[in-house]
Order: sequence, then structure tokens, then C-alpha cells
Amino acid sequence: MSGIEISHGCAKGERPLIPQVCRVVEITQETPDVKSFRLQTLDGKKPFDCMPGQLGMFGLLAYGECMFVVSAQSDEWVQFTVKKVGLVTEQLHELCVGDEVSLRGPYGNWWPTEGCKGKDMLFIAGGIGLPPVRSFLLYCLEHREDFGRIDLVYSGSKYDDLVFKEQLFEIWPNEPDMHVHVSLYREDPRWDGAVAYTAPFLETLDLGPEDGNRVAVICGGPSLSRTCRESLVKAGFDEGHIITTLEMRMKCGVGKCGRCNMGGHFICLDGPIFTLEEIGRMHSDV
Amino acid sequence: MTAQDTIRARARELLESGEVASFVGWEAGRFANQTTPLIISDPADADKLVFNEYCVNTLAKYVRDLVPRGKVGLVVRGCDSRGIVRLIIDQVIKREDVYLIGVGCSGAIDRKSGEPLKKCVECRHNNPVICDEMAGDEVAKDEPADRFAEVREVELMAQPERSRFFESVYAKCIRCYACRDVCPCCTCRECFVDARRENWVGKQNNVAENRFYGLTRVMHIGDRCIECGECERVCPMDLPLMKLNRKVIQDLNDLFGEFESSMSLDEGPEPLITYDLADREEFM
Amino acid sequence: MILNKKNLTPLLENMAAGRDVFVPARVDGVAKFALFGEGVECAFDLVNTTMPPKDLLFPQTQKMYHFDVDANGNYRIHEYDESREQVVFGIRPCDMRSIVCLDEVFLTKGFVDEFYANAREKLLTVCIGCASAAETCFCESMGVDPQAAPNADIMLQDCGEVYRVLAQTPKGEAEVANWAAFVEEGDAEPVACELSLAVNMEGVVDKLEGMYDHPIWENLSIKCLNCGTCTYVCPTCHCFDISQDMRRKDGVRFRCWDSCMFSEYTMMAGGHNPRPEKLERVRNRFMHKLNFFARRYGMSLCVGCGRCVEKCPVALDITRLIDDIGACDVAPAAQAE
Repeated sequence: MSGIEISHGCAKGERPLIPQVCRVVEITQETPDVKSFRLQTLDGKKPFDCMPGQLGMFGLLAYGECMFVVSAQSDEWVQFTVKKVGLVTEQLHELCVGDEVSLRGPYGNWWPTEGCKGKDMLFIAGGIGLPPVRSFLLYCLEHREDFGRIDLVYSGSKYDDLVFKEQLFEIWPNEPDMHVHVSLYREDPRWDGAVAYTAPFLETLDLGPEDGNRVAVICGGPSLSRTCRESLVKAGFDEGHIITTLEMRMKCGVGKCGRCNMGGHFICLDGPIFTLEEIGRMHSDV
Repeated sequence: MTAQDTIRARARELLESGEVASFVGWEAGRFANQTTPLIISDPADADKLVFNEYCVNTLAKYVRDLVPRGKVGLVVRGCDSRGIVRLIIDQVIKREDVYLIGVGCSGAIDRKSGEPLKKCVECRHNNPVICDEMAGDEVAKDEPADRFAEVREVELMAQPERSRFFESVYAKCIRCYACRDVCPCCTCRECFVDARRENWVGKQNNVAENRFYGLTRVMHIGDRCIECGECERVCPMDLPLMKLNRKVIQDLNDLFGEFESSMSLDEGPEPLITYDLADREEFM
Repeated sequence: MILNKKNLTPLLENMAAGRDVFVPARVDGVAKFALFGEGVECAFDLVNTTMPPKDLLFPQTQKMYHFDVDANGNYRIHEYDESREQVVFGIRPCDMRSIVCLDEVFLTKGFVDEFYANAREKLLTVCIGCASAAETCFCESMGVDPQAAPNADIMLQDCGEVYRVLAQTPKGEAEVANWAAFVEEGDAEPVACELSLAVNMEGVVDKLEGMYDHPIWENLSIKCLNCGTCTYVCPTCHCFDISQDMRRKDGVRFRCWDSCMFSEYTMMAGGHNPRPEKLERVRNRFMHKLNFFARRYGMSLCVGCGRCVEKCPVALDITRLIDDIGACDVAPAAQAE
């Protein structure tokens, strides 16, 4: 059974290190420490075209810039969903509608929208890992007839940490043949659903490889990725049918600054999206 | 038996008996008259240890990383032993974490020039200030060079000349941080230059940022500098770093009386962290 | 064509009109490539400079663009236009090889780095072959000929009293056409350069493929201080960080050399660090030099200049590592990726 084919050429813009000034046109508070920002150019256009899973370097000239997956897009804007974790993201959270930001991109390869055509899709994410996965999920919903059954397995440590709650609980469960499974790691007064870590939760759902007809897409922290990989392999998945993004390894975005290498691979140039089978063949520090 | 023979024999015994988990000394390098630090845990490697006048590295700094694996044995000369005292006073390690084999030292020789190393010419303590046993005898104390001669050289410069001097020193710095990483006093879990959140010092390489790094480090070492001279020896750009360290020491002597850091374990608190009603306060 | 060594200074004076010529020199006691001119004495006796010439193409601090805030409170980005025609005169064959490596990184297989590309385009390289080697030189073992540099615009092979002049590119030919007053017809035999240091690279790349978890890295990293000396004096190390300084309403975004030896280097927002210990950092550096780069670009990222061997505070020596790898009983593995 051969794995899902992923394109490993990255987008190559003309002047990849020079940002454009963009404007924040809409801000959504997703959780207490996660906000989504919609950006347009100063003359009201979409800053760049991109495929689901591609990234942009979003930042503030005075404070620095960070790499984020475009979590949603339309003909007029691109959106980034940002958790407050460090120096730059703290400042991004201070932004108001109308403020100016810097943006460069797009970078990286994209989710294998073609390679997954006709497949059942199993999306697995934890906490702030949902926005990168959502770009693919939204694509599948837009091209619903190209994909089979869709499952989303999503967990967070507490109710507040679940992003996109409206879509998660109101919209997606009503999409045809889409099944949303949410768990929390701990009991929470506002939660009467499953309480379990992602991997054991996934195992209770009994979602098998369907003879290579189901593709799993994982995005979460190092321990979620490791345990869910083990669960999927135990369930009979081959690693060529498990896809993930290593976008947190990207720094300069252009494969030069030296941080993103995993063995001879540069995540910025070849990734960040790989099958686990491909990652398994790399020399990698995790 | 030479000191080297004793060191090998004792290192083997200490490792075999399990009294120490690792042993730190020197081994021969690739080139003639070159040595490099050696850290062993297998008694069979004890015969790789050497001790000669080309042992230029001080060893105390390694202890910090090795202590979590168990007690560390190491060879100490005056400089190494003061480094160990420093680490103990700064509560980086405990006295019982180390087993010290002392050795008298007549100074190391620069393998390239064949001349004594500058740091060894300036050395004031040829013999260890603490140890558990000695390999060989103590050596006679050399008459050290004038400790502050090079400080006075700078002090005597007219202001514009002195300003040019500092400019030329810090124009050369490449911020490799070898001076920090070799220093037994530099044991902060997070160095101020790495604290990106606070952004104390910018990452641009220019005289202003480099000087801010260099002078802040000098002040932070302050009254703890053991004058081992390793920072100056390892600097790939040959910055005269001991001039700066000794300027601080000279001022300390002047303000608080003759002072040498890390000479014994029961040293009182350092002058810069001690408040005394008799302290001079001519600026008030 | 030959160039008498006595004509070097007049030639350089002539070349320096209207452009910046960099020559090996001792500046305040540091051997590096310095702007030829008053007060700078060429040091062609130096086999190698302490600082590599990479900063001519990839400065330690490179201002990328600057920005300010206009009257309406809006940010505006301004670009610099400052790259000048440069000549590097007296670069050695090992350092010319390092430029082959840097060209690969900055100009191929992905994004073209416009800052590097600009400087590279405007750089004329005049390489001087080595008639003698330092004790730390091992370029031959890394496939560099001490009297040849195929990618140099002009090669000056050291023949004792004279240099044998080879114009190797159209740019080099155009330059040499202006040298008539300083060169003469004729030929000379390059002095054979004897290197005392050699390592055997045979099989090292393939062996390393299977040595990622080998104890050799623990033994090596245990004495490393994790300073950045080796990376900063290395002619091929090219890691950088991008940062910015802001003063009132004016700011500058710059990139500056960074070092994979520093603990903070791979630290991610949120606190995760994939290379938290010396072991991972040291392994990454040497694997990159001897295996990763070879896998990606088909050449070693070590050119055998010997600078790190010379400058490492604890004499951690890449040539001993290569020997040790050779002595390891590990089956060579084909590329795993």
C-alpha cells in the first residue's frame, strides 16, 4: 500500500524576506488566549493566494514576526489564529481592527488535497493544533463530493482552550457525513462530554484504516503526536497514510537560517507537511 | 612517581572503587605539545590522562554538568581549585560532589610561542587552595607580575585615547560568548544575553551592543572573578579581558581593602553584596 | 601570464580606484579581510585569516530594511540600496570552496536570498594559491586543491617569486585585461604545497547515516563549552537570526549571525526546544558539516580550513572526530531518506 503523495516543493515568492504592510480588518476572540485576525492589504485586497496548509509570516515591525498557518481564507482576506505564548504573540493580541501589521508569504507546501481525493478523512488535533488542520477541513467541506466520511477528533485541557466552538458544536456536526468527537483532558464544570487524553479517546472511536481508504491528519504537541501515532499504527494504519505538519520548526521561512533542518531536510523548503513515514526516515531531534 | 603517574593511578582507583562516577583531567591532543580536556568514566581510560606544562585549560566548569551523574574526580591546580571554591560558594555544587587531586603548577606554556602563558605569568597561586590529596609536592610560589600594571596603562590614557581603546576592543568582539562559557563564575541558568523577552542586549553586532555585553559581564563577575585568565586565553579575537576584570578588582581593593575571591570555602560574603556602615559613600 | 609579487601593491592600488578591495590583513591584532587603503597592510603571508571572508557576502549584521511611523500612525517600510562593487583579493582555495557551499544555500533549491545574491553578483574573487600550509590545514582531505579554485574569477597560483595568473570566468578575463601594466607573458610552475594534516573522508558520510544515536556524540559533546567560536570562525556556517531594533518611531529589521551551539537558538515560543542539550547541538553541527549537507548538496560543508581546530577553546577537533568515525565499527548505510 503506497502512502499519500505530498508535494514537497514550496511556494517561491519573488522577494521572500520583505514583508508587506497589511491591515487588520476583523478580530475574533476564540478563547481567553486565542484570537483570529483577518488581514487585508492597505488597499483592501487579499494579501496573497495560498493553498490550505500554507503559511504566512505575520508580525509587527517593532516586535518581530512569527510563522502561522493560514487558518481560513476568502477572496478578500487571509486569517491567522494566534495563541498568546511568547513575546510577539502577546503583542499581536494587543491589536485592534484597523491596525497595521507586517506579512510575508506564502510559505511551505500544502495539504495533499489531490492525494486525499476520494478518501475518508480523520482529523486529529489538540488545543491550538486545530487551526492548521482546519484549513484542510474547510477545503474538504467546500469540495464535499471529493471526500468520503469526515471525522474530527479534537481535545483540549479545559473547555476554555477549545477553539472555534461555534463550528465545533453548531456547524460541523450538521455537515453531511461529518462526525465531531471532542474530549477534555480534565473534568470541567461546563463540560459533560468525554474526559480523556486524545490517543485513548481516539481508540474508543474505533476508526480503522479502511484498507488504506482513510487518511489521518494530526496536529498537536509532541506528546499528542507521538501517542496518536501509536494508536493509529495499533489500529492498522500505515505511516504513509498519516499526515502531519512540522510548521513549528520554521523560523525564517526560506530554509536558510539553519533551525528547521531534520537531518538533511529543511522543513521550510520541503515541508512543513509530511507523512509520518517520511518523517520516520529523517534524522530528527524532537 | 611523577604527578602524571599518580593522577592516572588514583583516577583508575577512584573510578574502579565507584567513589567517583567521572574523572576530569587532560589528554594529549592531535598536535605536538597540545592537550585537551578529558572526561572519563571507564577506569581503562585512565592511562589517557596526561599532566604536563601544556595543560592550558582549567577544568572546574565541567563539574557543573557532570555532578548530576555522580561524584566527580578532578585534577586541580591553583586556578582549577579556586574555580571549584567559586562553584561551591555560589551553591552550584556541594563540596562532597567533588574529589580533588591537587597538583602544584609552575605555569603552562603556549605551545605555539614556547613562552609561558600570560595567565600563568600573572598567576598568584600555583598550588591548590583546597584538595583532598596531592599528587606530588607543592611548588614554590613564583613572584607574580604586577597585578594591576595593565589597568594603570589604560587609566593613564587621556580620555579620547581611552575611548578609542574601548572602541577598538569592542569593535573586534564577535559575541561568540566563549569568555562566558569558559568562566566558572558564569553559571546563571539563563544568561542575560539569552533573555530574549527582556531584550537587555540587542543581537546586532556593533560596538554599543558588544560593549554592553562585555561590561555587563565584567560587572556581574565583579567580586567573584578568580583571575584564572581563561576568558582572555580563549577569546578568538584576543580581547584584553583581564584588563577589565582587574579594573573591577582594583576598585574593590581600593574601596573595601585587599580582596581575592574564592581563596577558601569559609570566605565571608563578597564585598559587593555586603552592606557595612563603614562603607565609603563619597557620592552622597 | 605571470604577476611578479613585487607588483602586488601597485596592482591593488590600481584596482582599488572606484571600488572596495578587501585583502587579508591584521587589524588591531585580528587577521581578517580588511578594506585595502591607508593603514591597512596586506598580509599575504597569512595562510589563513582568523575571521573567514564570509562577511563580505553574509555580514555578521545585515540591515534588511528599515521602517518608520508616518504622521497618521501608519508603518512604512524603506529599503536600503547600499551594495557596492567589491573585490576580495587574496582569498584562499578553502575559502573559495566555502563560497561554493554558501552559493548552494543562498541561491539554489528554494528561495533565492536577495541580499546574498546582490553581494555575490557584485563580488570579484581573486584567489591566491597556497605554497605552504598551517599545521591545522587539511583542505586536501576535503577535496580542495591548495593551488586551485575553479570558482574563483581569477586564480593566482603561487610560484615562489611570481604568481601564475589564470582568468577563469568572463568577469575575471575582463578584469585581467586591465592588468597589462602589472603582468607579463610567460609561465611558471606552482609550488607544491605540502600539508602535514590529513584525514580520510572515505565512507564517513555513509557511516554517519547509521550513527545518529552512536555514543561518539556523547563523548564529543561532553567537553564542548557550547560557545559559538567554531561557528563564527567557520567559513561555511551560515545560521542567522532575524530581529529588530526600534528607537522612538524608527526601526530597523536586521539579520545577524547566530550559532547552532547556543541553547537559545532552537528555542520556540512556548518553551519547547528540540535541541535542549549540548549533545543534540554538537551532533547537529557535525552531522550538518559531514552528512546532512552532503546528502542535500552533494558536497561536504567542511572545507578543511582548520579555523575551528585552531580556535576551539577546548581543542575539540573535527579532524579527530573524522578519524574516530573512520575507526568506528559501523556499516556504511545508503542514504536513508
